[in-house]
Amino acid sequence: MAETQIPPPQSPGAFGAYVKNVRDTAKSFWEGMSVTLSYMFRKPITSQYPDRMSVPVSETIPARYRGFLEVDMDICTACQACERACPISVINIDIIKGDGKTTPKLRMERFDIDIGKCMYCGLCVEPCPTGAIQHTREFEGAVMHFNNLTLRFVPDVLQPVVAYKPPKGAEAFPRQPLGEITRKLVKAWDAPPPPFPSKEEAAKADHGKPKAAGLDVAAMGRQLAARALQVKEDKPKLQKVLEEAMAGTDCGDCGYPDCFGYSNAIAQGKDTSTEKCAPGGADSKAMLETILVSLKTGIVPGAADPKAEAPPPVPGAAPEPEKPKGPPLSQTLSKDELYKVVLDAMAGTDCGDCEYPDCDGYTRGIVYEGQTDLGRCAPGGEDTRVKLYEIMLGTKPPAK
Amino acid sequence: MQGFIDNLIRGWGYDPASWPWTQFVYVAFMGLFSFIVINFAAISGGIFSWAERRIAARMQSRVGPNRVGPAGFLQWIADAVKLLFKEDLIPAEADNVLFRAAPYFMMVGFACVFVALPFSHRLIIADMNIGIFYILAVTALIVVGIIMSGWSSNSKWSLFGAIRSAAQIISYEIPAGMALMIPVLLAGTMSTQGIIRAQGPWPWQWFIFDDPAATAAFFIFFISALAEGNRTPFDLPEAESELVSGYNTEYSGMRFSYFFLVEWGNLWVMSALAVTMFMGGWQVPFLPAERLDALTGWAAFFAEVASVLIFALKTLFFVFVVMWLRWTLPRIRVDQMMNMCWKYLVPASFVSVLFVAGWMLVVRSAPAVGIAMRFLLAGAATVAVVLFVQRVAHNLRDTGDKFDFTSNW
Repeated sequence: MAETQIPPPQSPGAFGAYVKNVRDTAKSFWEGMSVTLSYMFRKPITSQYPDRMSVPVSETIPARYRGFLEVDMDICTACQACERACPISVINIDIIKGDGKTTPKLRMERFDIDIGKCMYCGLCVEPCPTGAIQHTREFEGAVMHFNNLTLRFVPDVLQPVVAYKPPKGAEAFPRQPLGEITRKLVKAWDAPPPPFPSKEEAAKADHGKPKAAGLDVAAMGRQLAARALQVKEDKPKLQKVLEEAMAGTDCGDCGYPDCFGYSNAIAQGKDTSTEKCAPGGADSKAMLETILVSLKTGIVPGAADPKAEAPPPVPGAAPEPEKPKGPPLSQTLSKDELYKVVLDAMAGTDCGDCEYPDCDGYTRGIVYEGQTDLGRCAPGGEDTRVKLYEIMLGTKPPAK
Repeated sequence: MQGFIDNLIRGWGYDPASWPWTQFVYVAFMGLFSFIVINFAAISGGIFSWAERRIAARMQSRVGPNRVGPAGFLQWIADAVKLLFKEDLIPAEADNVLFRAAPYFMMVGFACVFVALPFSHRLIIADMNIGIFYILAVTALIVVGIIMSGWSSNSKWSLFGAIRSAAQIISYEIPAGMALMIPVLLAGTMSTQGIIRAQGPWPWQWFIFDDPAATAAFFIFFISALAEGNRTPFDLPEAESELVSGYNTEYSGMRFSYFFLVEWGNLWVMSALAVTMFMGGWQVPFLPAERLDALTGWAAFFAEVASVLIFALKTLFFVFVVMWLRWTLPRIRVDQMMNMCWKYLVPASFVSVLFVAGWMLVVRSAPAVGIAMRFLLAGAATVAVVLFVQRVAHNLRDTGDKFDFTSNW
């Protein structure tokens, strides 16, 4: 076996290597220290967030950044497509429906987005027909009080916002500059938290008010029960009645986020408890019991003078007899007249959930193209479905 | 300081030699001076902690602490107050007594150095005739504290750190001690004030430029002092990436702050020692030590202030150099650290001592050679400084940056 000789590397000798090491050390000190010193006399690269930035950080991040959501109520059609799209129920919209003549057809009492819960997935932005809901570039979410994390786009429940009616065939919708509305709302976050009530104030707030008004709990319970019976089938209205029986503080002690949550759960039949309203106490419990019992039995219980108390008692709950009807409107009216009637039955938000581009498209589909699925109008919901069956087939819609 | 107190007693109308209360006055002043000195060490250590963070930040293109007080200057007070209020935790498995005592050993070893360390022409606690010897001796007490804290913590990180630190400090004592022998040889005294008096105010009168071996001795001493102070590149005992924090891993609160106080206070000690031994100390230009002694009244006061300032400026420059080194160099390995000490610094320091001894004989027979060598070395140093400044400016300009030291504080 031939051995391969590897020549030893040329070494400068022990002393040479020694001197070389010393020289290398000195040289690297020289270079290294001149570099670090030169950096010491330069301007630092870091900028001082947040108070020494030349422009707000939100303006320096890319346009497609998904920050806080913003709704321009001026072009919101109240279609609730975003609410339905949200996988974690961050968006809450309350709608009041009107007849469209004396009162607007759709009004929004509430449009809340809980930013504390939002996961910034962007699914709500996709279905919006007018681009009213958008992600802004705002992201700084430090708040003084946890409740402040909810963006309320309808500032006052008593002044509902009328839904936007998009003009026919419109492609673009005038929108406020993106971010301004949310920035305004976010600014309120700097406000200090609501003051903690003093003992006297708390005492007054708890029971003083009803007592000062001379509230007759039993009478009020009966009143509410009578109203509840009237709207037994209309869950949202029933919920409103139920909410009246509660303290209305949105304290969250019941385990629901607010009074709406609790009353809604009772209205939907998901919750049968009556004692959870802590601020309302025994009063609320009594009233809620009265209502629930009357809903079950169909009569207002224990009324001293039921006729004086509850004007229209039972018949509202009774099933309506089939009244004799002629042929449905679809067979009596001309197509163009029918078109108007059908369009009128729809919610008119142009949300596009029906898989037609807008309400016009769906209506044409039903009237002219033989579309037989009448349950596609999501914003209109059950109301629209009933109406459409009535118009097109003259029957009640099958149960879902 | 004894002379100062004796004068004070004479001013009260007593003879310090026969007055029965002399010893009590001495004790009272001892307490006062140690209070002042420990406070000086603590406050300068605190300020250095801020300075180091600002300098580190600048060298890394950051800003550093700038919120508490002007330019963040009060940051160290905030940190100190926070540490003082923190819970003083003692691990359940630790040796209670040793664990509690260790920081005080470090503090004592550190504070004792200040006894023989000059601040100016007259300001020194005790100008002992064995000054340097004393400083070398009490510094070694720090090792005791480190070993104690490492052992009593009952944690492997602490113990590793302590053992490394002990190995390092004991090894580097040798080159440091030998390098310090060179000024002692040249001055013929171990008294720190005596060594400064043997030098002069101008660079060519400093011991560092006496001869090439003395220059080498200065660097040997400086490197060894870095190692003894556990400073980068010799911060193996505190190597964060390997040992969490080394011997002080288990400490918290006030005891923890003692360790850091000692580390930063040591910056002053090592720099002041370098200035004393090699850089002419407090010597004031145009005022030789003899004339300084003879001054009285306000002239003496202003001369004293000038000498304090000169000493402090020189010392602060070296404090800066130590910080600057920390943010330039990476940590070296244990074997490299030992290699450097035993293969380079120890032989070099022995050779230097021998060379200086021979050189002194040469200078005695031909004084002109000594003076020529001093000017030559001082001139070479000046050239090196100029070249270095050019190099820094070149680095700055090469990247298209501008000199900007004042913005964004």
